Amino acid sequence: MIQVSNLTKTYGDLEALKGVSFEIQRGEIVGFLGPNGAGKSTTMKILTGFMPQTAGQVSVDGVDVNTDGLAVRRRIGYLPESTPLYPEMLVYDYLAYVATIRGIARGDIHGRVARAAGLCGIADRAGQAIGTLSKGLKQRVGLAQALIHEPDILILDEPTSGLDPNQIVEIRNLVRELGRDRTIILSTHNLPEVMATCNRMIIVHQGRVVADGTPAELQAREEERPRVRVVLRGAPAAGAAEALRSLAGVDSVKDAMTAEDGATALELTAAAGTDVRPQIYALAVERGWELLELHRQVLDLEGIFRKLTQVV
Amino acid sequence: MADAVRNVSAIAKRELAFYFGSPIAYVAVTVFLAICGVYLFVVYDFFDGNQATIRPLIEQIPLFFILYIPAVTMRLLSEEKRAGTIELLVTWPVTDTQIVVGKYLGALGILAVTLVMSLVFPLIVGSLGDLDGGLVAGGYLGLFLLGAAYAAMGLLTSTWTQNQIIAFILAVLLCTFFYAIDTMVGSVWESARDAFAALSMKAHFANIARGVIDTRDLVFYATFIVVSLVAAVQSLQTRNWK
Repeated sequence: MIQVSNLTKTYGDLEALKGVSFEIQRGEIVGFLGPNGAGKSTTMKILTGFMPQTAGQVSVDGVDVNTDGLAVRRRIGYLPESTPLYPEMLVYDYLAYVATIRGIARGDIHGRVARAAGLCGIADRAGQAIGTLSKGLKQRVGLAQALIHEPDILILDEPTSGLDPNQIVEIRNLVRELGRDRTIILSTHNLPEVMATCNRMIIVHQGRVVADGTPAELQAREEERPRVRVVLRGAPAAGAAEALRSLAGVDSVKDAMTAEDGATALELTAAAGTDVRPQIYALAVERGWELLELHRQVLDLEGIFRKLTQVV
Repeated sequence: MADAVRNVSAIAKRELAFYFGSPIAYVAVTVFLAICGVYLFVVYDFFDGNQATIRPLIEQIPLFFILYIPAVTMRLLSEEKRAGTIELLVTWPVTDTQIVVGKYLGALGILAVTLVMSLVFPLIVGSLGDLDGGLVAGGYLGLFLLGAAYAAMGLLTSTWTQNQIIAFILAVLLCTFFYAIDTMVGSVWESARDAFAALSMKAHFANIARGVIDTRDLVFYATFIVVSLVAAVQSLQTRNWK
């Protein structure tokens, strides 16, 4: 449904996106995950036609965002980061205004506003000025605005940022509810959010996609390539690393941060589907090193996210 | 086309609702009328003149408008940029031209309301003596066109910045410049004064206010407005720079 290929965006000297590609199918709820500045908002601004990419293609059902922006914009509901609204307007007037611009027939506007407001739980706030609402309620007005024309695609940029835990749960439930019959892309730097609401995650880091799959898939991929932590005593640091690296099935070795007195701590990554622990034990015995620690680490999603988005 | 009309009128209506839904419009119009009244009856000393005319006021209003119109237009787009609402506005199915025209019509609405309210002065003067209706009509047409040109300039500067004060100051400077360009040039280069009168809002205004409707003056204002609005659309589209 949504196809993004080789998207790049540069702001002056800054390369915000360095070739982002992904494809989203109808009905998916995709979590767009990454640290601040990873390129999430930039990608969303391009998808929604707010600004053009430097290079690459974005299309929705084969319609290019740049050549027929209006047609694509009609199908998308967008909630930008920080939820910009007009504080002086009443909730009802604002939603009716958006409905008008969205091309909803005059006679249907009242019904649509009522439905969107009801869905977002702000029906009883219709007569209140937006500026007097709490942050959570404003967020709901922003969501109602994105929904008013019943779009099949929703793009939500950090819909829960700045909300308190109760509000976060409410918005998440709402997004899950909305996702039953829509395609949703939501960005966040909050992992539990993705776990709670999305059936797929795309992790971006420094303008690139570094992971793409269901949470279970990413977890499984990680389990196939576990890290092993080894602490050896009586081994020369460089020699130990080299010896470990030469073992079959070991992909990479790096010095770990901490080690006890006289011991060397190393962290290695094994090739997919191999368990290198017996060989490490055998190596230590053969060389006469004392094996103080041998630990296979399986990262949870939090760990995977941190590993993928470490600044190198 | 129906879409365009609908979008433009929705945007224009929202602007008018903003001004008249808050004290801003009432305060601005009241202050404007008070200044006009003070000028006509106190500064100019209308009662000493012993003549039923509002011509001095109509000649003065272009100067008041140099501050008044930019004050009305300064927030039109700068505030959307500052608050970030521009991001929603341009991702709705609306073209940049529709946004600019809608905002502009909103500003013209305020201008029209202001001028209608100021009809109180010709009414007062007309009740005191024999007022030349043709001159008043010409004067008001001139004021509307001049105000419309200022509003287009104010809308343009409002697309340049997200700071309303900067938009205001730039609009005041540019309006002053185009109002009095012939006087300014003429003060240093006397023989060029007439050549620059063609660019001067003051000179074109004077023609219309005298009751002489000449297509050259109308074309001047129309051109000024269209060029400013096209520049405003271009300025909005700079976000499309790759």
